[in-house]
Amino acid sequence: MYKYRAQLTKGDEIRYISHLDYAGVMERAIRRAKLPAAYTEGFNPHLKMSFASPLSLGVTSDAEYMDFELTKPLCQPEIFDKLSAALPPGIRLIKLKPVKEPKPCEGKKHKALMAEVEQGIYEVVAPLTGDWDAAVKAVEKYNGATEVNYHRVTPKKTRDIEVKQYMIEPVKIGMSGDWVKLTMNISITQTGSIKPAEILELLHNEYGLSVALGRALINRSKLMGQGKDLIDLV
Amino acid sequence: MIKLEPEILQAVEKPARYTGHELNAIHKDWDEVDCHFALAMADTYEVGMSNLGLKILYEVLNNRQDTACERVYAPWTDMEAIMRDRSIPLFSLESFTEIKKFDFLGFTLQYEMIYSNVLNMLDLAGISIWAKDRSEEDPFILGGGPTVYNTEPIADFFDFFVLGEGEEVISEVAETFVKWKKDGKPGGRKGFLKEAAKLEGIYVPSFYEVKYNEKGYFASIEPKEPEAKAKIYKRVIKDLDSVHFVEKPVMPYIGIVHDRIMLELFRGCTRGCRFCQAGTSYRPIRERSREYLRGLARKLVDSSGYNEMSLTSLSSADYSCLGELVDDLFSDFEGEKVSFSLPSLRIDSFSIDLAHKMQQVRKSGLTFAPEAGTQRLRDVINKGVTEENLMTAVEAAFKQGWKQVKLYFMMGLPTETDEDIVGIARLAEKVARKYKEVKGKWGVTVTISVSCFVPKPHTPFQWFGQLPKCEFERRQRLLKDSITERAVKFHYHDARVSVLEGAISRGDRRISQVIYQAWKDGAKFDGWTDLFKEEVWHEAFRKCGIDMKEYSERTRNFDEPLPWEHTTPGVSKEFLKREWDKAIAEQLTEDCRRGKCSGCGVCPSLKVDIVDWKRQEGEVKANV
Repeated sequence: MYKYRAQLTKGDEIRYISHLDYAGVMERAIRRAKLPAAYTEGFNPHLKMSFASPLSLGVTSDAEYMDFELTKPLCQPEIFDKLSAALPPGIRLIKLKPVKEPKPCEGKKHKALMAEVEQGIYEVVAPLTGDWDAAVKAVEKYNGATEVNYHRVTPKKTRDIEVKQYMIEPVKIGMSGDWVKLTMNISITQTGSIKPAEILELLHNEYGLSVALGRALINRSKLMGQGKDLIDLV
Repeated sequence: MIKLEPEILQAVEKPARYTGHELNAIHKDWDEVDCHFALAMADTYEVGMSNLGLKILYEVLNNRQDTACERVYAPWTDMEAIMRDRSIPLFSLESFTEIKKFDFLGFTLQYEMIYSNVLNMLDLAGISIWAKDRSEEDPFILGGGPTVYNTEPIADFFDFFVLGEGEEVISEVAETFVKWKKDGKPGGRKGFLKEAAKLEGIYVPSFYEVKYNEKGYFASIEPKEPEAKAKIYKRVIKDLDSVHFVEKPVMPYIGIVHDRIMLELFRGCTRGCRFCQAGTSYRPIRERSREYLRGLARKLVDSSGYNEMSLTSLSSADYSCLGELVDDLFSDFEGEKVSFSLPSLRIDSFSIDLAHKMQQVRKSGLTFAPEAGTQRLRDVINKGVTEENLMTAVEAAFKQGWKQVKLYFMMGLPTETDEDIVGIARLAEKVARKYKEVKGKWGVTVTISVSCFVPKPHTPFQWFGQLPKCEFERRQRLLKDSITERAVKFHYHDARVSVLEGAISRGDRRISQVIYQAWKDGAKFDGWTDLFKEEVWHEAFRKCGIDMKEYSERTRNFDEPLPWEHTTPGVSKEFLKREWDKAIAEQLTEDCRRGKCSGCGVCPSLKVDIVDWKRQEGEVKANV
């Protein structure tokens, strides 16, 4: 089997489709591209593909990662062009690299793509409804706090999460037109993480950041492991 | 252009129902075309996107240089609430244009219980509900699909209807419109409708006058305009290889009801089941050729990326070259991991062998439709299937490894007695015991699904009075109590919905008041059990002073004029009456595909012939 890693986007057109639907869309794209894809065994064969960290509904991304396998080694430009041509609106192929499996004598195999994820960088933009100085102060106050708790309610359970343990860097604030732009560098661990929308909610509800929450847009710009983009780990 | 804010889309269930941008969707420049056509289904995105007819017409219309065709479906209740609250009008999924700005809004009318949703969509679009109230700027509202063989209950809401198969006539409608528009719209709205009424298969209800007799029953419908025909025959495609079929289906980003390729093998079914409206309205049998289907299958797999293909038709196993076609498809798609399925199976071992071949891996379950529990009643409905046929078929299925069988039945058929109801339980139990006999152990599930019979226009049972709700419910209890085997599971349809469907499907123009009232009082998504409001409908009948049972339960006289006879699929009243008499006499009628012509009248009145590739081969040989 020949494994490849793709860096893809999730654009504005499809920001409201779920992670599972995104995977289904990619499976059909690979089939349209007529690549010699490898399938799982069993009653219900599926393409051998795996994804990195799932995105929340409504979030766009420049850093979606997918590993997939082919039964024949094709050259990188051929795969890149065929797959690019088969992608639907809202998905672009940015980079593609073969995954070099370590030689058996080296012992360990490549980690699963999902297990390589350690860090995500997000940009959040929202219309500013108050004044700029107050917004800067709100973010500074959040950055200065030693412990921040977020009360997460899901249909299944409710729990409190300490947020600051996941902040790799302080939240940065900038302006573009009348919109505030926040950059969040968040740690993603096997046991948990915090979502950028949840940080925005905290900033708005508890730190007095005056923005129109309902119009906020979030984009994932990077997904990293060992301090590198996932595409550079193969 | 309608733009939905993130906070709206974040607040609704399945927001991708409203965001468009799917692969293969066609986007044209609004100002570059003369005709703007919105195709609608008054149901959710997932249901609407699964409809084959809409997929075909979408491509047929968009293949025209002068026309842009876009899609629109019913917003779910959560989205509707937001749209009403914020005054967001109904919009299309390609250009996000207000529906009111289109030239046409065409609804596919799949069954009667979506009529309230049609009204709701018109209202959400800001278009007058009643055709007579529409202005020169409003779109023309048209309807097509299975329920057009009695359009009277909704006649006052529509500007016109398209009867029968739409591939050719929809294009003629667009052409007529473009010409009328270029000529400076002579005669205004009515002027266009007069031109449209000249086309075969087009029914403009406002061009007719309806009369009722002293008893209040429908008496006559007469044309008031010279362009209006006394009788409108459905449109039919003579050669299905010659018209466009779907080649690049719009690919949804989210799961839809039929999330696979639909390859339509043929149209029509002449097995002649006497309860079946599809059996009369899609006549005659016309098959696509094996070569054409093979080419379509390739195009569809390439353009969609789907790995599942359903070979659809009313009775797919009747396709004369099915064995050969399946072999072709298996060899064409070898190594591409495409799976094939047949949506309906005939009760014979040919079907079982084929299903076995097609479902090499997944044995999900087999479905058969004996329709009635005793031989006597199966003869009444002309279901040419015996208990022996069923036992042979399930025996073959159990030997091949199937463990789940679903059996479809109907309840409330003409002449039905308690013995026939108990017969359903006995038959299902025999099937379950057959498994034990074959396998030497238990482990089978036999599910019986029993619907409530709704007599439909243009069928031999069109005169028959439907059972009252309480009688359906008594028979459901009787059946439930008659099942003694644990392997048999029983599902039945909601009789409340079936009797309403019974009233509407044989209604006349006065029913439109009831539909309007029910919609006003909150009826919508009536086909969704949890949203169906029975009381709203009964109250609507009361408010309009109309006795629902007069429509559902009254047995019509054979010499009585019926409100749907002027819009016809071509079967003659004499044929239907003959079939009724044979039903009562428990006599069978042969399938005319290969057997004797039953004289239904379709072929001569529509100037069309049966297309059956195997029969044709036989004839060629016979002629040599």
